[in-house]
Amino acid sequence: MSKLENTLISINSLARPATDRTDAVAMLAVTLLYLVAVLSVPLYAPQRIIWLAVYPVVQSEVSGIGFLRVFLRSLWVLPLILLIGVFNPVLDTQTAFMVGGVAVSRGWVSFISIVLRGLLAMQAVLLLAMSAGFYDMCGALRRFGCPRVLVTQLQFTYRYMAVITEEALWMDRARKARGFGRRNYPLRMWGRMVGQLLVRSYERAARVHRAMLARGFDGTMPLSRRTRMTRRSWCFIAAWTSVVLLLRFADISSLFIK
Amino acid sequence: MSHHYIRFSDVHFSYPHGPEVLCGVDLLITHGEHVALLGLNGSGKSTLLLQINGLLLPSRGEVVVGDIPVSKKTLRLVRQSVGMVFQNSDDMLFMPTIGEDVAFGPRNMGLPETEVERRVGAALESVGLAGFEDRPAFSLSGGQRRAAAIASVLSMEPDILVLDEPSANLDARARRQLIDIIAGFSHTVLLATHDTEMALELCPRALVMDAGRIVADAPTALLAASTDSIAAGIFDTARPAPILAPASN
Repeated sequence: MSKLENTLISINSLARPATDRTDAVAMLAVTLLYLVAVLSVPLYAPQRIIWLAVYPVVQSEVSGIGFLRVFLRSLWVLPLILLIGVFNPVLDTQTAFMVGGVAVSRGWVSFISIVLRGLLAMQAVLLLAMSAGFYDMCGALRRFGCPRVLVTQLQFTYRYMAVITEEALWMDRARKARGFGRRNYPLRMWGRMVGQLLVRSYERAARVHRAMLARGFDGTMPLSRRTRMTRRSWCFIAAWTSVVLLLRFADISSLFIK
Repeated sequence: MSHHYIRFSDVHFSYPHGPEVLCGVDLLITHGEHVALLGLNGSGKSTLLLQINGLLLPSRGEVVVGDIPVSKKTLRLVRQSVGMVFQNSDDMLFMPTIGEDVAFGPRNMGLPETEVERRVGAALESVGLAGFEDRPAFSLSGGQRRAAAIASVLSMEPDILVLDEPSANLDARARRQLIDIIAGFSHTVLLATHDTEMALELCPRALVMDAGRIVADAPTALLAASTDSIAAGIFDTARPAPILAPASN
């Protein structure tokens, strides 16, 4: 299977909830709370952030996604996170503590803190999208009062990622069918292919849009039934809120680090 | 809407910077009629269909659906009455599951969720896809996808069903299922197709388009037997006898 086929399968699989038991609104509520909790931990206390990893680890396993999958995908943002924190060790050289006679600066501590909170935040967002499904996540955003235009843009961005990948896949198959294994095409030809891809994607998008208009689409995607709150949603929110607040405010690391 | 008719009065249409694609089309399809729209590629069939629910509006002339003239102000009403099935099913299936796709139209109509669920169930049942609600579109065969696309329109309970090349790329069994589905639709049907056998079976009346004009409006069987050059081209009656035909001696 080609990379494009794998990409298309990944994109399409993101559309649906991981399980029918996943409640998008409840997931979104917990994710927002979790993000606030992670980002509000003091910068020089990375040992307190680590405990908050309980949520992505446990919830990804419960929803059947698997933490390893979430973790590996969260590494996509690692370069950006490293870029944000890379100057901290250089600029903040004040000693924070000693480890075996080696001084660890506050810059390094804050750098580790930034990396941890960046990865955990990304994992929580990925977990939301993967377990609730992209469309239900967008529906939940609407229920939380997120502007309609923004949510519709998100939905279209996602939809057209699949459209462009599908068109690229067909073009790639057509190229391979007549390419006899050749790979070293001149840059000009690749440029033309990209141009063709955009034109084809635009045409396809126009046809999809027409089909939507024909069924009464007026610029607002209708919400699915899965974005309604149920008693289980409230239980889910209550359980995770308790855990996240406990992990955020109770300094569990002090039990282990004297 | 009490009268499910379609009326075109001197309809002209051209795409931007292009030649005229519809050149003064006049036609009337009355309530409950099943009509085939035939014509060679590029004759203007799809453009004509797109006028019926206002996806394209005439440059000149008037299209009336039921008692409503198709215009920007009436699009919502018209689109509730006219269900359109496009040539490529994949363009119609854009939601994560078939159930969500079939519910897309009824939800846009603002129906309550219980009614949406009833309609989704009934539409999928009518096309033989009961129980497929939670399946993603890409896991279905071509015939099933076409059936799902039709279900996504039937769930809106339209008064008029418009289909563009519905049997294209279908195998014999899927094509037969499709014919049964369309035959079961009791309201007005307009069907653009190259599948003349399906047209003969489903539509007592046929319109023939050529270069943006309706050049023939007659019973389908009569057109099939015609020796006229355009009809012969569409029904392929000018073809030589099959080479596998048994010898006559």
